[in-house]
Amino acid sequence: MERRSFRAMGTTIELMVEADDASAELDAGEAEFERLEQLMSRFRPDSELTRLNRDGRIVASAELVEVVSLAIAARERTDGAFDPTVHHAVVTAGYDRTFTELPEDAPDDRATAVCGGRVVVEGRRIALENGFAVDLGGIGKGFAAERVAERLALAGPCLVDAGGDIAVRGVPETGAWTIAVDDDLTLGIVAGGVATSGRDRRIWRRGGRERHHLIDPATGRPSETDLLRVTVIAPDAVEAEVLAKALFLGGSTAASATDVPAVLVTEDGRRLTTGGL
Amino acid sequence: MKGPTAEAWMTDHVGRLYALVASVVVFLVAWAVVAAHPWAPRPAQDPRLVALAARQQRLQRESVLVKRIVDRRWAAYRSALTRRNAAAAKIAAHNSALGAMATASAAQPSVRVVNLPPLVVTRTS
Repeated sequence: MERRSFRAMGTTIELMVEADDASAELDAGEAEFERLEQLMSRFRPDSELTRLNRDGRIVASAELVEVVSLAIAARERTDGAFDPTVHHAVVTAGYDRTFTELPEDAPDDRATAVCGGRVVVEGRRIALENGFAVDLGGIGKGFAAERVAERLALAGPCLVDAGGDIAVRGVPETGAWTIAVDDDLTLGIVAGGVATSGRDRRIWRRGGRERHHLIDPATGRPSETDLLRVTVIAPDAVEAEVLAKALFLGGSTAASATDVPAVLVTEDGRRLTTGGL
Repeated sequence: MKGPTAEAWMTDHVGRLYALVASVVVFLVAWAVVAAHPWAPRPAQDPRLVALAARQQRLQRESVLVKRIVDRRWAAYRSALTRRNAAAAKIAAHNSALGAMATASAAQPSVRVVNLPPLVVTRTS
């Protein structure tokens, strides 16, 4: 098993390929993460997404069109629980620079922002409703993981872990890709994607109050549910990311009633499983 | 010396008429027999016709044999076709079931809890 680990998209990326020599594919995978980050990062002033958010309308690359389209489709599928137009709400909550640059605490002097802006995709043109901007943080890593996994699969069975958003291709010799969800819970998957969303990490403080990055589009503020973390296993990493956020926002009662394979951890430490797990 | 009866018969017109008709018939029959040359040797049959007739008979026999063979092979083909169609339908049904399973597995990814060391850890991203 060849492994490579590097930093990209504000997290640690890990690539694994079951092949004798996959250095070329690993190089290509690493380069692909860098390329996609250059397209989708809201923190890079020269990224394509930054240009879209600044200008309101652009002729975009095929990848940005695809990921924005996936995000819009996810918003419709989840009745707005997943929304890519949370950009201003995330910034208002204080997540206005890369996470490593965020101050631990700062005055809370910002009002809430509205979500649910209109995004029009026509061919390669993307246009945003005035006053709205797009944040692909809720879907970008899963998208990149899927793209890179597709590339790595040319060398052999592979796993791409983009900071917890995981895509796999092929079956390893051990029979399954083993992914730890907790200290005492490990899942084995042979296809699909895994993603975890929660407020146990990527948290900061504003005005002494804890903030996290999972915005509830209905309120424009960090969501308040009884869930601490949700891990979803889905047909691909993009869908897993979307469902993880949607289940997280819904709270434990709604989330545990679904048939989506998921592991729910409540804020009081209970662990619930759904979808036959 | 002729008696009166014989004279009467010889002068009878009806008798004469019968005699004339009989003579004519005998003449015509003799003519036909002579015209038919029954004494002449019969002409030899054309060997090409004989060969042709023989060939025709052989072809008829062979066509019957060929028809039997074709019928037998057609029956075998139809039987094999029926078997193949049944096998193809079985395979198609199997593939359809596999496709449905693949769709189901795509919609519901294969996952289970395992007691193996983890390769990676999923966490809030």
